[in-house]
Amino acid sequence: MRARTLGCDAEVLQYLDSLASRAHIALYAPPERRLVAALRVVFSEFPRTLRRSWAFVAVAGAVFGVPFLVGLVGALRSEQFAMNVLPVDVLEQLADGYAQGFAEGRDGGTDAMMSGFYVYNNIGIAFRCFATGALWGAGSLFYLAYNGLATGTVLGYVSRAGSAGNILTFVSGHAPFELTAIVIAGAAGLRIGYALIDTRGFTRVGALRREGPALLALISGAAVMLLIAALIEGFWSPSSLPQRTKLIFSACGSLALLLFFCFGGRRRKRPA
Amino acid sequence: MTEAEALPDKALDTIAEVETPESIRFQFRVAGPARRACAYGVDLLLRGLLAIFLLTFALITGAVGAEGLAGASSGVVLVGIFLLEWGYYVVCEALMNGTSPGKRALGLRVVRESGHPLRLSDSILRNLLRGADMLPGAYGIGLLVMCADQRFRRIGDMAAGTIVILEDRLTVSSQIRIEPPPTERELARLPARPDLSRADHEALELFVRRAQAMNPVREEELAEMVAPIYAKRMGLRYRSAARFLALLFHRSTHGGV
Repeated sequence: MRARTLGCDAEVLQYLDSLASRAHIALYAPPERRLVAALRVVFSEFPRTLRRSWAFVAVAGAVFGVPFLVGLVGALRSEQFAMNVLPVDVLEQLADGYAQGFAEGRDGGTDAMMSGFYVYNNIGIAFRCFATGALWGAGSLFYLAYNGLATGTVLGYVSRAGSAGNILTFVSGHAPFELTAIVIAGAAGLRIGYALIDTRGFTRVGALRREGPALLALISGAAVMLLIAALIEGFWSPSSLPQRTKLIFSACGSLALLLFFCFGGRRRKRPA
Repeated sequence: MTEAEALPDKALDTIAEVETPESIRFQFRVAGPARRACAYGVDLLLRGLLAIFLLTFALITGAVGAEGLAGASSGVVLVGIFLLEWGYYVVCEALMNGTSPGKRALGLRVVRESGHPLRLSDSILRNLLRGADMLPGAYGIGLLVMCADQRFRRIGDMAAGTIVILEDRLTVSSQIRIEPPPTERELARLPARPDLSRADHEALELFVRRAQAMNPVREEELAEMVAPIYAKRMGLRYRSAARFLALLFHRSTHGGV
């Protein structure tokens, strides 16, 4: 600044500027406690933000749930319907797989591979569902509706083929985590889209900025849930454990999630 | 606040000004879409190489290792590919304080709008929203948004409150020399102390420095944008705009000599 008032060369000023900005960046480098902050986001801010975003979750749930029911009922009623939604060979492969059941279990290597696949596939879909919400929510709506329809159709088709028990047992473990997480990712995407529509007095950029921390909390929580779901779906669900065990596990998991969403992150009331 | 408004108006420039807690005001040069695209290209190549390496690793372990290992290594590869797609930038920006190998190559850095370094939460958010910037393909939306924004931010930058700056390591070069040196006759036609503000002087100096590196046609083209203004202000005429500006600068620097 003094150099500027003294009227030094422009080039010298630029040089000093660049030195100053590099020093600024080095001096104010963020502190190292990232792990604690990350855990706090997932376990505390995530459920809190989720409760505050209940309207978006409700809408996302409906946009996923209605096509899900449509797919389910449609595929239960007619095979043709299912074949219009998904390619035939995929449907037949799934039906065969579930017809076999899981009595023999599966080897660890394939389990690991499938877990990896679920990470790659499902978390990727959830991230895209979230990010495309920036198109005023349109992208998220599409992903939610399509995935809902596809999931319901698969369930209906396999059930119609007679393996309803098998598929329900299989999905019972990870579905509470996976489907809820997709809905949450979609809800976060809808939040972005809505912020662009009703900016509440901010500029559009400002509205995006304002939503930032909430979006981060939601999508981080969703990602962790999907990671858990991928592990369950890869290792637990296809195992040869008895049906009752899997269903009890599913019930416990769902209960735990529900409690977490309702009570997680609540601050203790301060003494009066 | 009023002082800021009284300052010369925001020129059409790629500079973002920041005021630090120490009340120092300095300027960042914001990086435009071209540089950022090139940096992305370099990072893409690097990610491709990493993916190939990962796949080779999986093939080898699959062929050599036991039965279960083949599946497990495939799983690792899938997770690896996922991380390369969504996590590469987050990890790089965390480890390298806001840059990545591609960005380093082009001299870029991601910082928060306040000038402070990037936080992990900002990094995650801006990189997750690549999913939107990527659409419909090859970052179409991202580039459009960048071009429309004064600070060249894409959707991810807007949500995270970050900008990408140009971090050239500048050096102070030697003294400016005007080639060929101004003659007495030329200088006699100019006023002894030209009526130039400090901002004018700075602009002329930057032009004259750059002129040495440009080709003459371009030099003349740029000078023509500005020279008529000065000429009109001082009631002078000139033959070559670039020469006129150089002489003005010389006069202004060595005023009265």
